[in-house]
Amino acid sequence: MTAVDTAIDSGVRPSRTRHGARFSEWIALYSMSVLAALVLSAILVEATGGDWRPVVNALLDGSVRHPGRWGETLATAAPLLVVALGTVISSKAGLVNIGQEGQLFVGAAIGTYFGFLIGGPGPINVVLILIIGAAGGGLWAGVAAGLRYWRGVPEVLSTLLLVTVGGQAVAYGLRWEWLLLAPEGSRGNRNQVSEQLATGNRLPRPDLFGNEFPLTVFISVILAAIVAFVLSRTVWGFRLRMLGRNPRAAQRSGVSETRYGATALMLSGAFAGLAGAAMLTGGGFAFGNYQLVPGFSANIGWTGLLVALVAYEKPLAAIPVAVVFAGLRTGSNFVSGTGVESRITDVISGLLVLALLIPAAVMFLRDRRRARAAATERV
Amino acid sequence: MSNTELGDAGTDETNTSSVPAVRLTGITKRFGAVVACDSVNLALQRGRIHGLLGENGAGKSTLMKMLIGLVLPDSGTIAIDGTTESIHDPLTASALGIGMVHQHFSLVDALTVWENVALGDAGRLDPKATRGRIGEIAEQYGLVIDPDKRVGDLTAGLRQRVEIIKCLRRDPSIVIFDEPTSVLTPEESEQLFESLRHVVAAESRSVVLVSHKLDEVLHATDDITIMRQGKVVDQRRSVDADARTLARAMVGREVSLRSERAALGIHSLDDNGLDDNGLDGNNLDRADLDGIDLEEGATATGHTFETADSDTSNIAPDIGPTAVPVLRIGKAVVHDADGVIALDEFSLEMYPGEIVGVAGVEGNGQRALGDVLSSLLVLSSGTVTVDGAPVPTGKSGAMAKAGIGVIPEDRHDSGLVLDMTVAENLVLVDQSRAASRGLIDQKRLNAFAVEMIEQFSIACSGPNAPMWSVSGGNQQRVVLARELSQEPKILVAAQPTRGLDVGAIEYMSHRLETAAATGVAVLLISSELEEILELSHRIIVMHSGRIVGEMPRAEANFEALGLLMGGAAA
Repeated sequence: MTAVDTAIDSGVRPSRTRHGARFSEWIALYSMSVLAALVLSAILVEATGGDWRPVVNALLDGSVRHPGRWGETLATAAPLLVVALGTVISSKAGLVNIGQEGQLFVGAAIGTYFGFLIGGPGPINVVLILIIGAAGGGLWAGVAAGLRYWRGVPEVLSTLLLVTVGGQAVAYGLRWEWLLLAPEGSRGNRNQVSEQLATGNRLPRPDLFGNEFPLTVFISVILAAIVAFVLSRTVWGFRLRMLGRNPRAAQRSGVSETRYGATALMLSGAFAGLAGAAMLTGGGFAFGNYQLVPGFSANIGWTGLLVALVAYEKPLAAIPVAVVFAGLRTGSNFVSGTGVESRITDVISGLLVLALLIPAAVMFLRDRRRARAAATERV
Repeated sequence: MSNTELGDAGTDETNTSSVPAVRLTGITKRFGAVVACDSVNLALQRGRIHGLLGENGAGKSTLMKMLIGLVLPDSGTIAIDGTTESIHDPLTASALGIGMVHQHFSLVDALTVWENVALGDAGRLDPKATRGRIGEIAEQYGLVIDPDKRVGDLTAGLRQRVEIIKCLRRDPSIVIFDEPTSVLTPEESEQLFESLRHVVAAESRSVVLVSHKLDEVLHATDDITIMRQGKVVDQRRSVDADARTLARAMVGREVSLRSERAALGIHSLDDNGLDDNGLDGNNLDRADLDGIDLEEGATATGHTFETADSDTSNIAPDIGPTAVPVLRIGKAVVHDADGVIALDEFSLEMYPGEIVGVAGVEGNGQRALGDVLSSLLVLSSGTVTVDGAPVPTGKSGAMAKAGIGVIPEDRHDSGLVLDMTVAENLVLVDQSRAASRGLIDQKRLNAFAVEMIEQFSIACSGPNAPMWSVSGGNQQRVVLARELSQEPKILVAAQPTRGLDVGAIEYMSHRLETAAATGVAVLLISSELEEILELSHRIIVMHSGRIVGEMPRAEANFEALGLLMGGAAA
């Protein structure tokens, strides 16, 4: 991931030497923190009467080695990446959107509702669900944007609290047939589940070497390239970055905080909503099997937020980070098979996530300190 | 100049003891190359109000900060009631009975008055006792206030009263007021001084009033110390003083001595970027030649161009009776975040090619004026018109679009984005010259940046250098280059040479004169009188958000300006 980081950076960063120094700093930081997390995990497993070697094996089996597993990992990485891309956009504008989990869920629900309401031929219906899902997520984030720019409510609070509201609203919708609940015959003995998408109304799942994954994997990578391009090469991206880095300079230069900020926040929500719709139409073992259920969002929103954080606001860097986080997730499904208590595996994956976050946090703090020092030194 | 120490001469019957409450001896404080306080001697008597007068940067605040332990002196002694003390932090100062009412409020809007007063206390909250104490203070000093009112609902004057109560409830024997009237209306100031009298009379306290307003120092104090450039230049009794002498002592000599300042080493603390990069005077000259085509601009607008060297003979542009103002500000009223009035029916007309200097002690509305013209503030009432067309205030980008270029007072505040590159900062206001169909054209951006870097001699490692890696003087050049490249009709330069070294100051002055010569109306907002006198064709003086005086350069002198800046009638 560091290689990608530096590759993206090369256009912006000034000197080669500084560049090289950063690269080795990243490597060193990541090695140290991941190693520390692994050692701590090993100690934990041993201390609770287990053996650490099979745990590591299971982690690797579950994420890549076992047949079909890397397909599963990629399928998980795709929505993570899409969520992270949206987060990058709002972060660039200086906004802290932490409500992706809710925006994703609401987007998926609205996509489902209109998908069944409108119908139409298979491929068109899939595209429709994706677009409406994105619009739904965007509107949900739009509530927070409205509160922020009309009433001055910090978006950190509103986006977070709207996660709960969104979850409750969708759960309500899943109780009524005129909203989301599947009709009597097609819901089996479950009482909070939407109708399943017909086979023609699903995203294709190509099969590579026995690994199956939905088309969203490709879509998400293309989106990453587009976001990277828009942010770094367009006037809109330029003005958005200006707003994020110095709102007063932006105000004087004609970048309306309300217009650009609200757009960025809604786009961020739209990406989360798109991820939700992609999970619905792409299916997969982990994601509700082409139908909406309570808890459908499955922490993808939260984890996607972490991906953006670790990727350090860089869209292309988010690709490998998303894969790593997805691997941790699919891998830990196998760890429970080793006889290690599930609570311990939770702690282990938590430790590894933490290990991936610490370098980004350290670098962020250090860069900020350097920038401040440079700014005050040379006034 | 009577440099006799007031403490020794004090035979007034109000004195309860001959030992001064505070005696500062030979206090010196340096910040890098700048001497903030230069062997200052000062004695404060009990039962008297001592005025500390001086311009911005005269060293009065630094001196008081040393008294309350926020800054440590390099040398010199502080004696409290005859005992030498080392005041190394505010807690020590507080234990010695020294309290300060700061210029800027530190109050919590959402809490009530008594809660704010109790805020700094240790231990358990005792609402009843706190309320009682507030009542006592109110009665004793005439500082009446409702302890259960929310601070956010109070006027600036009442908020300051809360600050004073916060300070007085600890029963300090020495109280420092730092520019207390800067946020007050005249009536509120009057009330404040009345209560100050009570504070002094009761239990014979010693009060220091830090101020730059001649009027209030004359009327509200017993003794006056005037500081200039870190030194005490005059000490006298208020009864022996008049506004004219005080003004002269405060602003100092008549001549503009920029070169002398350089010789004394009084320039920026840390702006060594120019020298490091080998940009000396020769390079500057070359840069000037590469700059805007003076001849063409001058003939086009019919103005004569004056070089920066002939600073005594600023020839104003021909403004005939038929001339049309390019900028017109009509009865502008602005309130700041605290609800204090920052611009009070401020009206100004500017004509192409003239440099209008805005003199005034800082904090008298100059910042608000700059912010309004940067679309950062909305007018409560009044209008801004450019070339006859009204410009909406506070609408993002409107002022820049109308043709108002701004070199802001604090370039990091609204002038630059430190995390972006030099090239990006050069097109911050208008990306169109480096973009087509919504895409940034890197080649054109680079080419433009290289051109600007060369033309304005910006020392940096290249167009892609992050802005924060560039020194302050060169950051200022980036701002200047960008604003001039927009070909503004009006250029607002707020404290344009602050923190720059001598070479950079000359360069900036020259650029501003060149801009005016090409027909730009330059609004020079500066707290440095030398700068104003050197560059302006016309000078206006701001005080409390109003224009209190206006005169052509030829009629202006330090004394007259000093009087106006201090709020005295001309």
